[in-house]
Amino acid sequence: MSFIELRDITFRYEGEESPVLSGFSMSAERGSCLIIEGDNGSGKTTLLRILSALSFPEKGSFVFDGCDITEKYMKVNMNSKLFHKRVGYLFQDPDIMLFNARVRDEIAFGPRQMGLGDEEVDKRVRDCMELFDIEKLSDKAPYHLSGGQKKRVAFASVMALNPEVLLLDEPYAGLDRKSREQLTAFLTELKRAGKTLLIASHDSEILSGIYDERLVMM
Amino acid sequence: MLPEWMKESDRYVPPKDGGTFAVKTIKTIGDIMSRVKVQRGHEKKHCLPAELKLMILLVLLVLTSVTQNGLVLMGIAAVVLFYLSTWPARDLWGIIKTSLSAMALSFVILLPAMIMNPAGIPNNLVLMTKVFFCVSMVGIFNHTSQWNHVTGALAFFHIPGIFIFTLDMTLKYMVLLGNLIRDLLTSMTLRAVGRHDRKYASVGGVMGVTFIRGTEMNTRMYEAMKCRGFTGDYGKL
Repeated sequence: MSFIELRDITFRYEGEESPVLSGFSMSAERGSCLIIEGDNGSGKTTLLRILSALSFPEKGSFVFDGCDITEKYMKVNMNSKLFHKRVGYLFQDPDIMLFNARVRDEIAFGPRQMGLGDEEVDKRVRDCMELFDIEKLSDKAPYHLSGGQKKRVAFASVMALNPEVLLLDEPYAGLDRKSREQLTAFLTELKRAGKTLLIASHDSEILSGIYDERLVMM
Repeated sequence: MLPEWMKESDRYVPPKDGGTFAVKTIKTIGDIMSRVKVQRGHEKKHCLPAELKLMILLVLLVLTSVTQNGLVLMGIAAVVLFYLSTWPARDLWGIIKTSLSAMALSFVILLPAMIMNPAGIPNNLVLMTKVFFCVSMVGIFNHTSQWNHVTGALAFFHIPGIFIFTLDMTLKYMVLLGNLIRDLLTSMTLRAVGRHDRKYASVGGVMGVTFIRGTEMNTRMYEAMKCRGFTGDYGKL
């Protein structure tokens, strides 16, 4: 059985007649990188929402590391916390991910939740800020940043939780050339470190050296 | 270069309790939003024009409020209850629940009067029944009409443009900012993997961001209106 597996998924938004996904199946192995491509409205974000257990399909099953992820399973507090610790999700719009007063509080939010000591939290925050080149923004308010800077802060705040799986929705959107190159190098290192990457992106060329499989959604 | 802790998996066991605050809040906001949002599915089954529905509603509200005749009230009650009985159980309960709450509130308000003047109890009961049916009728209208059709119907009745514009904008912003709060809380849930000791600080953050985004959207919309020739005169709308 694969690390992540979707079998015959059908998903329909409330009030809509036609499903966004119908009889959809996919799988990803641990440590692999999968690129999800498709036109606007083809269901890329919906797929990522299902994989992050924010939405649940009306038919079919979602298996993560041998565990059947259902609405009932996720209603158990411990299960949902552990799942979200293991699966990080970077939204397409970074604005909806930033709700703290300062950048460093934003990044520290996850590690503090995990109950890590102050020293460990500080270390993770410093490391993440260095990785994403946002040390100078440490004391700034996230909502005052530019689009690209917000994206980097949002990504850093996801990485501070050290998830095993990363679901990235258009991670290159809004980034300048230098940031795009840095992000590609970072994703290459993450893959080398054994993280599982599922990336919805229109930029498969820039990721050509990283991905193992390309999924085109119709 | 990745730090060492990022190359290894954490051995993390989440606490059993706590962390449900954001989930509960998201559910509450979702319930509120579903009342304001467009109800395409239901409206198709009740396809009378909003203007007609609004006119019938106003006539029935006035009639229910002013009637002294028990038969008229019972007639209105029969029509409303018969119509509601054709609805799916979930929607039906949504209307009845709100109407019962309004009736209970009117009972609390009228209770001192009923205690002080027991002879007036029948009249007070009629008043409570009227409250129940008036709220039911407004609920039915709300449930079967899209908000943009309602504001369109108000224009049909020559309600001033500034009133309709303000109502329209208020509803639009309620949906937009409600969605923003829901999304912020959802992203918070994804990272709230332990015990949330500083939940009030996070709520403050969410409210602050919502306020800032609301102000920004307001400024942008005003600028966009100016670019399209808006001179501050709502009368031309």
